[in-house]
Amino acid sequence: MVIDFPVSNVAIKYSQPFSKLDNPVLDYPRFQVKENEFFMEVDRIARYLVRNGNEIFIDQHDEADRASVYLFLAGSAFGVLLHQRCMLPLHGSSFVFNGKGVVICGASGAGKSSVVASFCLNGGIFINDDITPLNITDSQTTIVPISTRIKLWDDTLEKLNITNTDLEKIRPTIEKFYLPVSDSCIEEKRFDQLYILATHNKEEFIVKELGGVEKYNAIRYQIYRKMYLKGMPETEKTYFRQLLKLSTQITVKQIVRPNICDVRDTMAFIRKEIGE
Amino acid sequence: MKNFVWLVSYPKSGNTWFRIFLSNYLNNSELPATLEGIESTPIAGNAILFEELTGLNPFELTPEEVDVYRPEIYTFASREIEGVSYRKTHDAYTMNTNGEPLFPAEVSKGAVYFIRNPLDVCVSYANHGASQIEKTIKLLLNEKGLIAGKRNGQLRQMLLSWKGHVESWQNQTSIPIHFVRYEDMKLKPIEAFGSAIRFLGLEYDEERLVRAIGHSDFKLLQKMEEETGFQERLQKCKSFFWKGEIGNYRNYLSDNDIERIVDYSSDIMKKFGYLSADNKLEI
Repeated sequence: MVIDFPVSNVAIKYSQPFSKLDNPVLDYPRFQVKENEFFMEVDRIARYLVRNGNEIFIDQHDEADRASVYLFLAGSAFGVLLHQRCMLPLHGSSFVFNGKGVVICGASGAGKSSVVASFCLNGGIFINDDITPLNITDSQTTIVPISTRIKLWDDTLEKLNITNTDLEKIRPTIEKFYLPVSDSCIEEKRFDQLYILATHNKEEFIVKELGGVEKYNAIRYQIYRKMYLKGMPETEKTYFRQLLKLSTQITVKQIVRPNICDVRDTMAFIRKEIGE
Repeated sequence: MKNFVWLVSYPKSGNTWFRIFLSNYLNNSELPATLEGIESTPIAGNAILFEELTGLNPFELTPEEVDVYRPEIYTFASREIEGVSYRKTHDAYTMNTNGEPLFPAEVSKGAVYFIRNPLDVCVSYANHGASQIEKTIKLLLNEKGLIAGKRNGQLRQMLLSWKGHVESWQNQTSIPIHFVRYEDMKLKPIEAFGSAIRFLGLEYDEERLVRAIGHSDFKLLQKMEEETGFQERLQKCKSFFWKGEIGNYRNYLSDNDIERIVDYSSDIMKKFGYLSADNKLEI
């Protein structure tokens, strides 16, 4: 099987038998973590082993479809590979707007992808969907582009006047589609602003700029699959230093949007915050 | 280790009210527990917790796939927590596709089931979801009824019909269960809340009980919601703590509405004293 994998120097191997990890630091029901090794089992889809930031072994279940195997490979397995490379992946989608590198973070279902798609239809340049790895140095942090498409639910596509007829489903059983983005970033972009998106049951939008320890903790909370770090103490130490640098380089704002609201209203609200 | 207590109910049956009472009883404080404190207590269908324990986005799995993981994450979480954990759920007692119950007996200390007259549930739920009465009646009678599990929020919870929900928990024998009627919580609070405290094996202290009941008084909760809001309210609904009255259905349901619900649910309604043996409404 040929797959489109977003970072180079990764060997993806099929059909080679592998077992669960010996003496994992973190042992959860469906995944195990050591500093440079990770095992995950997705029921009736596949088992994945990720090693040293450059090897992925896949043992596909007999009944599994290709799209599902790829989805979890490009999600959790890829996320841990970035951790193994210390590329600090945020659970967020990213784009450039008015020359500023912006990341939108939030829990699954908060509306990250929808907002980014909406920006990209209104002058934004797409960088990443769902996972945004960072390159943090003393002077600045850049967003590393790894995606060329956005995962969107059918109703979001409809709101954005995009037909899903020719789009590929993320899984045969899920009404979520990959929207290819032609105008996407191919170079690293400076990271300027982080928006943490949450929802509430009120009608208004709320914005709060974070500072100090609250800002540091808020960024840390946005790390993709941060629970894996409990099994990667050295990586966590590296991230601690990186996050201290990062928190001095970007602005962080918490945005709370109504549970029920038009994605274009959320986009318009954040657009004002990004400024000229 | 058996350290989970499931606080179970069909929606709008007093589950949140009991959680507030329990929080007050456990805190044993001179001041009422805040609604914010209740919001932070775990819900069995919490999607964020699911993602943290499985490493998988539950909205990229089918609800049936999610249910395969649920027993194992509760078993795992049971090893991680200290003491007893009380978890609210609206799930009926069902099995996943592997034939395992969602709530494993091995980690379940017990379940408290809150039951309320389905006619009042209907009216309260119709308000709660700002939906119409007809839609809610259909849900109460739908043997495959479910809530949540769409694209965000909580995991899918199978409700079955109102009657099916009660029966599913009543018929299981794996988890010790105690039924509490909403109406008794209103009319005989010391008895109703006290029986739950005893069932849960907590120290029974009547002074503490009376204070906790006072701190979870409906009018106080309404006032607190007005002042600080409440996360469990749906956006299109004015308030979570609406009327809480017994027999409020008489102001909203037509005879035909009542008949449809009663006809379908009569055996369970009789069993819990909502309908007499000769089919007369008791409330």
